[in-house]
Amino acid sequence: MNSAMTAIVKKDLYEITANRRMLLTLLIVPLVLTVLLPVVFVLLIYFVPEEASDFQSLLALLPPQASSAGFERTASELVFNHILPVFFLIVPVMESSVMSASSFVGEKEKSTLETLLYSPLSLKQIFRAKVLASFLLSMAVSLLSFFLMLFVFETVVLLLSGGLILPGIEWLLIMLLVSPALSMIAITLIVRVSVKAQSVEDAQQGAVFLLLPVLALVIGQFAGVLLISAWILLGIGCLCALLAGLLMKKAMGRFGYEQFLKR
Amino acid sequence: MPAITLDHLSKTYDNGKKAVDSVCLRLEQGEIFGFLGPNGAGKTTTVKLLSGMLTPTGGSCSLLGINPARHPETVHGLCGVVTEHAQMYHALTGLQNLEFYGALFGLSPAKSRQRTDALLSRLELSDAAHQKLASYSTGMRQRLSLARALMHEPPVLFLDEPTSGLDPRSAQNVNALLRSLAREKGITVFLCTHQLRYAQEICTRYGLMDRGRLLAEGSLDALRARLGLGMRVKIRASGGSAPASYRKTGENTYEICIQTQEEIPPLVRMGVESGMRIYSVCPEQPSLEDLYFHLTAHQKEA
Repeated sequence: MNSAMTAIVKKDLYEITANRRMLLTLLIVPLVLTVLLPVVFVLLIYFVPEEASDFQSLLALLPPQASSAGFERTASELVFNHILPVFFLIVPVMESSVMSASSFVGEKEKSTLETLLYSPLSLKQIFRAKVLASFLLSMAVSLLSFFLMLFVFETVVLLLSGGLILPGIEWLLIMLLVSPALSMIAITLIVRVSVKAQSVEDAQQGAVFLLLPVLALVIGQFAGVLLISAWILLGIGCLCALLAGLLMKKAMGRFGYEQFLKR
Repeated sequence: MPAITLDHLSKTYDNGKKAVDSVCLRLEQGEIFGFLGPNGAGKTTTVKLLSGMLTPTGGSCSLLGINPARHPETVHGLCGVVTEHAQMYHALTGLQNLEFYGALFGLSPAKSRQRTDALLSRLELSDAAHQKLASYSTGMRQRLSLARALMHEPPVLFLDEPTSGLDPRSAQNVNALLRSLAREKGITVFLCTHQLRYAQEICTRYGLMDRGRLLAEGSLDALRARLGLGMRVKIRASGGSAPASYRKTGENTYEICIQTQEEIPPLVRMGVESGMRIYSVCPEQPSLEDLYFHLTAHQKEA
């Protein structure tokens, strides 16, 4: 990456962080999903009567040793290691969709894209710099949400049970493989849609469909249909990473300046 | 080496509209070339073809010997473009905008800052350097766009209506800057405008476009000679009876069309001999506007 591409990345990040409305949009949903909801889950586990909880049926699906530590503890572990990781698939897809849609179509709307295209960078270089900016921001929000969630969740659990819950291997796979790969897929797809989209809303509407498979995973986790093992997660992660790489390489292949400038 | 060449350059859009129709042109370095015509004449499309943003559907063009359709990035490094669709970032200050574009063109931070300061000062924007672009007036934005296009000191400048939105003093300042860039640094200016009077003030040569076709090109004198429009003599006089060749245009004002200056003394003599009191005689060469309207009218007739 050359200094001109770095300049685009820095400019994109500055523009987002300088825009308070945009920044709030990017921060509020992740905070609700990854900090508020987990706390609500833990409080429900500890303060709702056992008989009234549907967790019993979910606990029955777990290996016997997992459910031997007592209801509250086991249910908290289940939420922490099996349900919360899925939220960290929604966050990067959402973040990168918002960021990349505004990054390309936003420039088109504000008539700044043409000025950018007059630079001595190739379309591919401009595309890569913009993808990188969206990716970095999405990962930064994801990691920030993760550490915040870890701190809040562990504090609540410690106060309620006197012990901590250790993160499972699933977290490592989600945060370092699946989440970045999904984020990259979302960005490249949005940027592709953005070439023809005339407004940020157009591009973001396309992004909604990306959330469908992730939402299916969330529902599956809650229903206890899919308690994904670390190996399956690793497989999904590798597939996503491969797809992301392929999309990144092929995304701009067919496009020239003319397509970008069409109004 | 010519700065710009167009060899039967044509562009037809997907919807079938022929925006540029077999245009041939050659510009030498250091020229200020006025590419003139009404909206929809094909001026902006020509600039986009020359800057590699569009691919020709016929013919070819080159900028300092490089084909923009094949090497757009190289051409972008050699030209600066100011058009109404090439805006800058509202969330950044004037200074940040220029430094960003400096970095895009590979300038070091120190060099970028030096160029930014010089250009902001030259275009009288130093006081607004730290203001966000959102607070700039149209004229200030236009001047900042020109500064942006000059950041990397390109040998060729494409300007599409560069003085639109500028107050007379700023327009004068911009004109002076363009003249000095062409004269002292040999920068070629390709200026698109529909304001013919403005073009006549600054350009050294002209290309007159209409509906994608180049109607004529050359210096003002060459165009006058080619079209043989002659000159107008405006006479202010009273009394007596005006000779038949005097066309009355108002109270005590007359206009006569002639081909050469040699015809003026006999005209004045005729007026005096017919008892007129002549107060002033003003010969006027046909303006660019006259030439353009004559050409387009001629085209319509054809």
